[in-house]
Amino acid sequence: MTRKTLFLTAALGTLAAGFILSGPARAQASVAQALSAGAAGEQSDGYLGVTGSASPAVRAEVEAINIKRRAAYTDLAAKRGVTVADVAAATGCQTLASRVKPGQVYRIGTGPWQTKGNDPIALPAYCATAGQ
Amino acid sequence: MKRHYLRPGLIAAAMLSTPLGGCISVKAPDKPIEINLNVKVQQEVVVRLQKDAQELIENNPELFPE
Repeated sequence: MTRKTLFLTAALGTLAAGFILSGPARAQASVAQALSAGAAGEQSDGYLGVTGSASPAVRAEVEAINIKRRAAYTDLAAKRGVTVADVAAATGCQTLASRVKPGQVYRIGTGPWQTKGNDPIALPAYCATAGQ
Repeated sequence: MKRHYLRPGLIAAAMLSTPLGGCISVKAPDKPIEINLNVKVQQEVVVRLQKDAQELIENNPELFPE
C-alpha cells in the first residue's frame, strides 16, 4: 500500500464517520425545530406526536425517535417487571412536567393539542409527584 | 453488699410496670382489619417509575430533543 492509498483510505473513513454521526444529530435538529414551530410535541403516553403542519421528513424522524423510545421503554420495563405502557406513561409525566417549554404543544391522552403557557401543565392524576 | 445496689432498680421497675399494666389492654379484633386503598395499581407503578423515567430521559438525550 502506498502512502497515497493510505491517505485516501483515511480520508474516506473520516467522511463515512462524518455521515454516520451527522444522521441522528440532523434528525434531532429538525425535530427540535418542529417542536418550537408546534409541528410536533410530547404526548402523555411517552411518545412524540405530530400535528397537521408537520412535514413528511419531520413525521419520519418522529417515527424513528419513537421506535428508539419504545426500545428503551421495553428494556426498562423488563428490568422493573412492569409493562411497557407503564414506563412510557411515567416518562410522559416527566416530559410534560419538565421538558415542554412555553409556546410548545403537547397532548394528554387522545385530547386536542394544546399550547403550553407559563403555568405548569395540568398533569394526569396518575403522574402524582412528577413535577416535584 | 451487692443486693443493696439492686433495690432502687427493682423499685423503679415495679413503679413503671404497675401503671403500664393497668392502662394498656390489647384485644384481638373479631373481624379482619380492612384497609381500603383507593388507588389504582397502575397509578402506583407509574409513581414508582418516575425516577427511572427521569434517568432514562437524561441518559438518552438524542431520544428527547427539546
